[in-house]
Amino acid sequence: MATQAKPSTHGAGDRDTPKWEMVVDLDRCTGCQACVIACQAENNIPINEESAFHEARVIQWIRIERYWEGEFPDVKARFLPLLCQQCDNAPCESVCPVYATYHNNEGLNVQVYNRCVGTRYCGNNCPYHARLFNYWEPTWPEDLRNQLNPDVTVRTRGVMEKCTFCIQRIRRATRGGEAVADGDLQPACAQACPTSALVFGNANDAGARVSKLKNDKRRFRVMEELGTDPSVTYLKQVDTDG
Amino acid sequence: MAEAAHEMRPIPTHQEVALDVLARFQDLGARYWGWVTVLGFLFVLGIVGFVIRLSAGFDDRSIWGYHVATMSFIVTTFLAMPMISAGLRLTKANWRRPLTRVTENMSITGLLVVLMLLPALAALPPLEGRRNIWFDFPLGAPGVWNVLGFGNLALMGLALLWVLALPDLAAARDHLPPSARQRFIAWASLGWVGHLRQWRVLYAASLVFGGGYLIAYPLVQSLLFADFHAGLMPGLKDAIGPARAVVHGVQGALAMTIVVMYVMRRLGGYERYFSVEQFWALSKPLLAFSLFWFYFWWASFLTFWYGRLPGETDLIRFLVLNSYLGPFIVSLVLNFIVPLVALIWSPVRRSAWGPAFVSAGILVGTFVNEVRIYVSAFSIEDPTLHALDGIPPGQWPEAPDVLIAIGGIAGCVLLFMLVSKIVPVISMWEVGEGLRLTKIRRYLNRQVRVIAKSH
Amino acid sequence: MYYRRTLTDAQINRELLHVVFTTPMWWIVLVVSLGLVVAVAVAAVGYMFNQGLGVTGLRQPVFWGFFITNFVFWVGISHAGVMISAILRLSQAEWRRPMVRAAEIMTVFSLMAALTMPLVHAGRAWRIFYWIFPYDWSRGIWPDTRSPLIWDPVAIFTYLISSSLFVYTALIPDLAVIRDRSKGTWRYPMYAILSLGWHGSPHQWKLQGIAGILLSALILPVFVSVHSIVSWDFGVSLVPSWHVTVFAPYFVIGAVHSGVSAVVTLMVIMRKLYHLENYIWEEHIDALARLLIVVATGWFFLFWLDFVFALWTREEQEMVVWNLRLFEAPWGWLFLTFFITSYVIPVPLWLFKRVRRSFTWMLWTSLLVNVGMWLERFLIIVPGLVRKGPLVFDYGSYRPSIIEITIVVGTLALVPFLLLLFSKFFPLIPLWEEKEGQKLIDHIQLGNVKVPALVKEH
Repeated sequence: MATQAKPSTHGAGDRDTPKWEMVVDLDRCTGCQACVIACQAENNIPINEESAFHEARVIQWIRIERYWEGEFPDVKARFLPLLCQQCDNAPCESVCPVYATYHNNEGLNVQVYNRCVGTRYCGNNCPYHARLFNYWEPTWPEDLRNQLNPDVTVRTRGVMEKCTFCIQRIRRATRGGEAVADGDLQPACAQACPTSALVFGNANDAGARVSKLKNDKRRFRVMEELGTDPSVTYLKQVDTDG
Repeated sequence: MAEAAHEMRPIPTHQEVALDVLARFQDLGARYWGWVTVLGFLFVLGIVGFVIRLSAGFDDRSIWGYHVATMSFIVTTFLAMPMISAGLRLTKANWRRPLTRVTENMSITGLLVVLMLLPALAALPPLEGRRNIWFDFPLGAPGVWNVLGFGNLALMGLALLWVLALPDLAAARDHLPPSARQRFIAWASLGWVGHLRQWRVLYAASLVFGGGYLIAYPLVQSLLFADFHAGLMPGLKDAIGPARAVVHGVQGALAMTIVVMYVMRRLGGYERYFSVEQFWALSKPLLAFSLFWFYFWWASFLTFWYGRLPGETDLIRFLVLNSYLGPFIVSLVLNFIVPLVALIWSPVRRSAWGPAFVSAGILVGTFVNEVRIYVSAFSIEDPTLHALDGIPPGQWPEAPDVLIAIGGIAGCVLLFMLVSKIVPVISMWEVGEGLRLTKIRRYLNRQVRVIAKSH
Repeated sequence: MYYRRTLTDAQINRELLHVVFTTPMWWIVLVVSLGLVVAVAVAAVGYMFNQGLGVTGLRQPVFWGFFITNFVFWVGISHAGVMISAILRLSQAEWRRPMVRAAEIMTVFSLMAALTMPLVHAGRAWRIFYWIFPYDWSRGIWPDTRSPLIWDPVAIFTYLISSSLFVYTALIPDLAVIRDRSKGTWRYPMYAILSLGWHGSPHQWKLQGIAGILLSALILPVFVSVHSIVSWDFGVSLVPSWHVTVFAPYFVIGAVHSGVSAVVTLMVIMRKLYHLENYIWEEHIDALARLLIVVATGWFFLFWLDFVFALWTREEQEMVVWNLRLFEAPWGWLFLTFFITSYVIPVPLWLFKRVRRSFTWMLWTSLLVNVGMWLERFLIIVPGLVRKGPLVFDYGSYRPSIIEITIVVGTLALVPFLLLLFSKFFPLIPLWEEKEGQKLIDHIQLGNVKVPALVKEH
């Protein structure tokens, strides 16, 4: 059942099946948070009010990690948009007792909400803190209710959720079986990025931008030493002038 | 468990036991000297092997792997045996009495271990740049502290041996005809006459040194594991290692005790002291520790295997799945599977041959396992890396390695045989004490033993 | 050592069945007040189910908090039952007799308390059967056996079932005694059914003995595996300070440490409440305390290994977690309290015979151990999550909510509550064990001293 789809691990796999990946060019990222808001609107994520930040129960499928480089006064703010890395060797998958998260044949780490019983073990085992828990029943102000995306499940309280690479868009685009031209299919975050720092595509398509960029010499992957084999590649020029 | 009782032999007296033990003790026949000569020759072969290794120096660390493995084997079997004496005395097991002295006499092998430690330390690379437990600790780490730790264990064992031997040394002093040996024993008996205060001191000292040995042993195994295995293995973080080594030690000690008892029964005629009861009683913890052997290995294997961190996956490939798969399988079978399958049956446990057979296998398995752990670590070229650089191949022994292993083990047996002619190999006073605390009576329709609970 | 009092069978029956046939005032008061605490906790659970887990103090990324801590704690307590019963039975330790039943039944009840914890902690507790039931129901999907959270219920249910059987097997002869004493009352049918027609024939005794020995031997691997599996919930994950190979034996021996301490506490309180001075003596808790010295020191060795090898890596994330644990308030104070109460105070005290043989001292030191061991579990589980990774967006702390505290206190009341109820229907000290013990007393004359002695079966 769920295991039959195991396989695209470590890249290879069937060349006809897409392998969805993303490249994040940190040299382009301005930290504007447009991706965060776009994701929020696309994926029916409840409004994060101030209290959510105080309680540290913010739900953001993509978030901007800010960190500082250098010493004061010669200091630079750096940003790292962090989303589910769709690891090909995902630590979250094997610990779920109910197969609520598994790997599909398109290289996506899929979350099945109605299987989830909320043990939150996957969240513990995710080194990227990309998995989020619904502590409360999600609510929206009355005037925003009609704005919910009909393609996306509204998650109940008690389940885990995380970035899906906008799987609803992938499904719509590939429903007929016809090939999708590179760049036609984008998740909300990539679509909203004003500097095109986020690039999404099929890494099994050698001509796709994502396939070219992911081999750029500036490439790195977050916490590569853990062997999780993420599907998100980051690009960053290492400052040499300080 | 009930049917043993009806053919219970009458209980001998303390005096009968003492005369019998002293007669065997006094005898230094051709057979004894024959064995000593053979063992001495093997020991000299070991020294030859050692000298060959020494002539190559310490620059190539990998040639010292088997030396360290042999040393660790001695620590894990012979030198662990006094723990049995100390542990059983704490639990007041009555059946321990005939076999405690055998285990205590083995503490003499601590001297050999300390001697073997020195070249092993010389072969260690400098601490700089690699993981170690010393955290820039001053004063000659790791060498000085290892010598102190091992030396402490050896001294603790010898002190335990000496203190518990005092009443028997005094008996030997009074029994033997005058000779150099008798004069030495007389000196060693420290004027024991057996008045109440002396006994009190003896009981207190046996607690102190026994407890001390039980604490010193895990520390020595921790030093061995940390400095001679983990510190050389790039990226290894295996916190269970020292505890696992202690478990191996208890298993090895039980197995060695059983084998020694069996050999003494067959070759030395000690059936009277090492009866089936001793084998039966020792084989229960032997079964338990064989299960623990697997459990302590599995606990760390599962953690690495499930975690799937690349560095740790490489390490289990190196130590278990690829390079040292053969040795691992051998020790898995001999240290876990065979003991489990055999000792689970009461008739096997309740015999002399069953536990002895299993124990012999365990000793072989233990040696192979020590080879796997220490030879692998010494074959790593650059211990300052953070992960293995490729998976190195396993390393087979060469002629000098075989000589060192044979010589080391022969040396231990030789030391035991020598010391057993100074300290009687059966503890007369403990057996005698046990006899006074036991009686046989009828209970319902069968004979049972009544045991008073005292020391 | 065994200056046994000679007791007749009739006296044993009368004294040990006292609470079964009469209902003292203190019993009612205790049951009602503990029941109230449990009721409040149940209400808190209901409120939490109604509102969502938002009412807890859990937060990103601290997904596990008080509930899981409490789960590990109670599984730990449950390890004493078999420890005392099975090991001591197999090794024929005579001093086991008065404490086996109470220890075993504490195992069963604390396992039940432990089982409630992962249940209420789950996001959708009402769908928990998906998780643990090994059947595909209508979903066409089986539980994932790769997950340690499947190993957990399997191990714990195995343990619960086998220890319940263990209790029951040892209970049958006593049930028959109660049955024979309650002819014509409302109790009779219940005991008649439960005692399975026991009339004490040699054949029945033989079967009961074999069952006891077999269950003892079979339960020991289960006993080791249960807490190992609990430890692997943490050990196999990638959370810094959790991914440690020593966790399995470290958890098991820590469980024995806290469990045997709990047995000491239980013995002292039982002795006082049920007037069991004839059965529980200084010698018994002395033996337990000596066992505890060994267990605690073994536990300390493994704790030390965990600590040293965490520092050994000199990895940044390990250092961050240990820095939080040791030097940041309030974690540092909790750590200090844990360390002092679980080892530094009790173990040196137990070295003194006078402490070991004092019921008051043993009561307080054993309680201290369990305060420390609860904190130990908390300090193992939570700091690793609070400082899980180098991503600092959600760095913070964890503070339990009043709901979590209420539920945890509820389980602390639940176990004594169930024990009290049990004691109303079944004797807490096995009658037949005591009677058997009386038969095996003997003495040996040494000079002019009579040394107490025991008949050994072989």
